[in-house]
Amino acid sequence: MKYPVLCAAAVGLLLVAGSVQASGNPGRGQELSSQVCASCHGVDGNMALADDYPILAGQHRDYLVFALQAYRSGDRDHAVMSSFAQNLSDQDIDDLAAWFSRQDGLGELTFD
Amino acid sequence: MLNRLLAALALTLVLAPSALAQSGDPERGSVIAFTCSGCHGIPFYKNVYPSYSVPRIAGQNEGYIVSALKAYRSGARKHATMQAQANTLSDQDIADIAAYFVSLAEESE
Repeated sequence: MKYPVLCAAAVGLLLVAGSVQASGNPGRGQELSSQVCASCHGVDGNMALADDYPILAGQHRDYLVFALQAYRSGDRDHAVMSSFAQNLSDQDIDDLAAWFSRQDGLGELTFD
Repeated sequence: MLNRLLAALALTLVLAPSALAQSGDPERGSVIAFTCSGCHGIPFYKNVYPSYSVPRIAGQNEGYIVSALKAYRSGARKHATMQAQANTLSDQDIADIAAYFVSLAEESE
């Protein structure tokens, strides 16, 4: 009797830990952003140093993860972004995505 | 004298459309961008293999939309569907689509 309860508790803890990690830590993302991203994108991702730089605030979390991983792997090539992404761990990417996706900015397109 | 006038007039006619081309025509863009709504107009629509949400475009910078579409067209940026779409677009089409997206975001503000 004792084992199933313990097992359930262990599985529960694993699930909670997994979901926390998957969603990233926005507080740490904010810190990272202010050190790495802010000069071009603004700390909250609503600034663009050049007109062809994207707004990041409000972008989907999982799309931000995908894009940063693509810059890091070289699938997506950009002189500036590729080199920044090289220095990011999976955790860094999750934390940054958690931070930018929570800011007010981009929205859903509503077509006429 | 007449020749010079004609030359000036011809030059104006040549330059005027190209100046317009830079800014993009949102009305023309609305027609071309109809295809985009199939993925970008559905909230939380997912890309598959790999799985992630189709990016939000409303409120995005005009210049970034232009550069992203051109990168898909040249193959510098890879995505099967987006490359297939962008391959059919001229510079003018891309400018018009970007202008249309920006006009949509301004409307909803």
